[in-house]
Amino acid sequence: MKTKITFILLLMSAFTFAQNIVSGKVVDQKGKPVAGANIYIDGTYDGTSSSETGDFSFETTEVGNKTLVVSFLMFETFSKEIDVANYKDQIVKLKENVNTLDAVVITAGNLESGDKARVSVLKPLDIVTTAGSAGNIIAALQTLPGTQSVGEDGRLFVRGGEASETQTFVDGVRVAQPYGATTNNLPTRGRFSPFLFSGISFSTGGYSAEYGEALSSVLLLNTQDEADHNKTDISLMTVGLGLGNTQKWNKSSLSVNAAYINLAPYQAVIPQNVDWNSPYQSLSGETVYRYHFVNGTFKLYAAFDSERFDLNQKNVNFVDPVRTDMNNNNFYLNASYKGTIGTGWQLTSGVSYGYNNSKIKYNLSDLDSRENAAQLKLKLRKNVSDHFKLSFGTDYFITKYNEDFNDNVSINAVTGYDSNIFAAYTEGDVLFSKNLALKVGLRFSNNSLLDESRLAPRASIAYKVSKGGQFSFAYGDFSQTPVVDYIKYSKFHQFESERASHYILNYQYTKPGLTFRAEAYYKDYRNLVQYDTKDIQYNSVFNNNGSGYAKGLDLFWRDSNLYKNLEYWISYSYIDSERQYKNFPTMATPNFIANHNLSVVTKYFITDWKSQIGFTNTFATGRPYNDPNQTQFMSGKTKSYNSLSFNWAYLLTTQKIIYFSVSNILGTQNVFGYDYAKTPDAAGVYNRQAVVPTADRFFFVGFFWTISQNKNENQLKNL
Amino acid sequence: MKKIITLFALFTVLFVSAQTQFEQGMGKAFGLWKEGKNTEASQLFERIAAAEKTSWLPNYYVALVNTTASFSEKDKTKVSLMLTKAQDVLDVEMIKDQSNSELYVLQALIYTAYVVMDPMTNGMKYSSKVMEAYAKAKAIDPNNPRAVFGEADYQLGGAKWTGVDTKPLCAQVNKAIELFGTFKPETQFSPKWGLERALETQKTCK
Repeated sequence: MKTKITFILLLMSAFTFAQNIVSGKVVDQKGKPVAGANIYIDGTYDGTSSSETGDFSFETTEVGNKTLVVSFLMFETFSKEIDVANYKDQIVKLKENVNTLDAVVITAGNLESGDKARVSVLKPLDIVTTAGSAGNIIAALQTLPGTQSVGEDGRLFVRGGEASETQTFVDGVRVAQPYGATTNNLPTRGRFSPFLFSGISFSTGGYSAEYGEALSSVLLLNTQDEADHNKTDISLMTVGLGLGNTQKWNKSSLSVNAAYINLAPYQAVIPQNVDWNSPYQSLSGETVYRYHFVNGTFKLYAAFDSERFDLNQKNVNFVDPVRTDMNNNNFYLNASYKGTIGTGWQLTSGVSYGYNNSKIKYNLSDLDSRENAAQLKLKLRKNVSDHFKLSFGTDYFITKYNEDFNDNVSINAVTGYDSNIFAAYTEGDVLFSKNLALKVGLRFSNNSLLDESRLAPRASIAYKVSKGGQFSFAYGDFSQTPVVDYIKYSKFHQFESERASHYILNYQYTKPGLTFRAEAYYKDYRNLVQYDTKDIQYNSVFNNNGSGYAKGLDLFWRDSNLYKNLEYWISYSYIDSERQYKNFPTMATPNFIANHNLSVVTKYFITDWKSQIGFTNTFATGRPYNDPNQTQFMSGKTKSYNSLSFNWAYLLTTQKIIYFSVSNILGTQNVFGYDYAKTPDAAGVYNRQAVVPTADRFFFVGFFWTISQNKNENQLKNL
Repeated sequence: MKKIITLFALFTVLFVSAQTQFEQGMGKAFGLWKEGKNTEASQLFERIAAAEKTSWLPNYYVALVNTTASFSEKDKTKVSLMLTKAQDVLDVEMIKDQSNSELYVLQALIYTAYVVMDPMTNGMKYSSKVMEAYAKAKAIDPNNPRAVFGEADYQLGGAKWTGVDTKPLCAQVNKAIELFGTFKPETQFSPKWGLERALETQKTCK
C-alpha cells in the first residue's frame, strides 16, 4: 500500500517535472530583433523575456499542445498553439500595433486641444490663461494660425471665409447661435463658458464628412464626461459676478453656473469711443447633467442667456448719432448619448434645440427676429479591425426664422424662411500601418428650401516620415445654405447653396514640449450669392454666380523647453484671397482680410510670487476698404493693427485667486476700416468715418474662490 | 479506502505544489524587481497573473512595478505606455473588487505619475483624482498607512507653491509612520511598502 502511494507520487512528480525547452527569436515586421518581449505558455508561470538580440529560451514542465503567447507594449499580442516538445529556434514575427500612441494621425486642417488630443496645440487651461482672451474660447482660438483678427466683429474668420462659414458643435450637435448678440461694429464673444469643456477640436478646413453646412471651418466643443467633485465656485469681478456649483453622485453629476455681467464700472473708468445710454448687461446660466450607464454616457447641456445694451453711435450718413437698443434672449438645449453596443459598435446620438430672439431698436425703427433651430443626429461607428473603422450616420436640421421690421412710419415688413435639411454620410478610416493612414468619406444632403441635393466627397491621407514628423493632405467639397440675410428673401428668389473646395497640405513635427506645424492651402469658392443694390433688399436681383479663392500658408510653433516655467507659441498666417460676391463689381479682397497675421503668446510662471504672468501680442497688416471717391474698387488699405495684452494671476491660497488683465496696454489707436457716406456732400465728396474699437483698452480685475472639501483643488483652472 | 487515500494524497500534492509554485514565482519576481530588472519582474508578475486569476496580487505588482519605474523614466512615450499598462491591469482587479483599499492607493499613485510626467498639462486634471482615490482608500480602511501617508505626501509635494499649511500634513505623516508600525500584511506578498519614504518625508517636515 505504502509503496504504491510512493510510486504514484514519484510518477506524479516525474510527470510534472519533465522539462522541455522552448526557444526562438522575436523580430518585428522588418526582421529587426525585439528586446524585452514577454514570452510564455498561457496559463503557466513558464516563460521569459527576450534578450537584446531578440532571442529567448526557457524550460517548461508542460507537455503536448499549448498556447505560446508573445506580448510587448507596442505590438499586437501574438498567440499560437505549439507542441512544446518541438518548438525550438522558431522565429516569432510581431505585428506593430497600429493603435499605439505614436501611430500616424491625420492632421491636415485640424487643430486640437484637450485630453484626448494626440498633439494638443492648445491646452485646456490656455483658453483662460491666454492674455487678451478673458475666458472667451473664440478669442483664444484667434491666436492660432488660419484665423483673422477682425476686432469689430469678434467672431471666427477662417482662411478667407466669412464668420458665418464656421459652424460650432457641442458634443457633435450643431449650435445654431454660438455667439452673443451684436450689432454695428460691436465685437461679440462666444456664448460658452470654457470651464465645462474638456476638449476642443478646431478645423480650419478639409474636415470629416460627419459635418456639413459649413464652407470654411468647424469648431467642435466637447463637454466634460465627468465632474471633478462637489464644489462651489464664487467669482467677483469688476464686470460682474458669478456662481457655480457641482454635485457628484455615484453614477451622475450636475454642474450649474450662473453669471451676471455689467460693464458699467469698466465703462466709467475707461474712456469710451461710443456713448452708452445703458451699459452692456447679461444674465446667463449653464447646466450640464451627466449620467453614466454601464455601456455609455448620457449628457444634457442647457444654456440660457439674456443680454441688453443701449448706445448712440456716430453715423456718417446722419447728423445725429444713431441710437441702438438691443435686447436678446437665447436658449440652447443639447441632449446626447454616446455608448457601445455589441462588439466593436459605437453609437452616438443627439438632439439640440436653439431659440434666439433679438429685439433691436434703431432710433425709431423696430427689428424683431426669432429663430428656432433643431438638429437630430445619429451616428454609428464599427471597429471592423485594428486597421479599418467604418462610420455612418444621419442628420436632420430644422430652422424656422421670422423677422419683423417696422420703421413706425410707413414700412412694416415681415420676412422669414423654413428650412429642412436631411443629410447622411459614411466614412472609412484605414490604417495601413503605423505610418500611413487614409480617411475617405461621402456626404449626401437634401435641402428642401433650396430644393437641391448634393454629394460632397472628402478624403485625407497622412504619412509619417520620421519619429516626430509627418505629412498629411486633405481634400473636400463643402456646401452651405446662404446666410439669413439672403434666404429670408427666399419668397422672391430661389437660392442655391454656396460651395467651396479645400486642398490642404500639412507638415507637423512634434517632440516633447515642442510642436511645429506648417500648412499650405488652396480654397476655391463658387456659387456665391451676388446682388445688384447697395443694401440687401427683397427686390434686389440675386444670383448664385459669385466666385472666389483663398490661398495661403499657416505656421505654428509652440515650445516649453526654451526656459524653465516659460511657455510660448507663435502663429503666423499669410493669405491671398479675392472674391466677387455680394455687390462687388469686380474680384477684390474683402475688407476682413489682412494679408499677414502674427500672434505671439507667452506665459511665465513665477513660483516665488505664486503668480503666472502672460503677454499676448497680435499684429495684422492693413485691411482693404472701399473708397467711393476712388475709381478703383476696394483700393484703400488701413494702417496695420497691433494689440499687446497682459495678464497676471496671483494665487492667494490654493482656493483663492486674484486675476488682473489689460488688453492693448500700449493704447494703440487701431482702425478696422472706414464707413463711407451713401451719398456725396455738396462738394461731391463721400465723407468717411473710421471704424474703431468701442474703447482702446479693456481691463479686468477678478477674485475667484472655490469652496470644496478637497483643499488641493486648484483655483488656477479658473484663471 | 485505498482509493480515498490515494486521491487524498494526490490532491495534497497538487495543492502543495500549486502553493509553492505561486510562492516561488512571486519570490522570483520580487528578486528581479529588487535587482532593478523592472521589465523582467513586471513580465513575470504578468505571467503569474495570467495563470492565477483568483489572486489580485500579481496584477497589483504589475501595476506597481510599472508605475514606480515610470517616475525615473525620461522618455514620455515610454512613461505613457507604462502607465497605460499599469492602469489596464489595475482596472482588471478593480472590476473584481471595489472594496480593496490598496487598489485605490495604487490608483492614486498612477494619477500622481501622470502629474509628474507633465505637471502643466496634467496637474489640474489629475490632482483632484489623486485626492479622490486616497479618500476612497481611507474610507475603506482608515488605518491603511499607505493611504494616510500618500494623501499627505501628495499635498506636501505641491505645498511649495500652493502655500498650503504643512503642519497638519506633517501630523498625518507622523500618524502614518505609527500605522506602519502596527500594520500586519495579510499574506507574505501583501503590500507593505512605504515606510522608508515616509521616514524621508518626516525629515523634511522638521
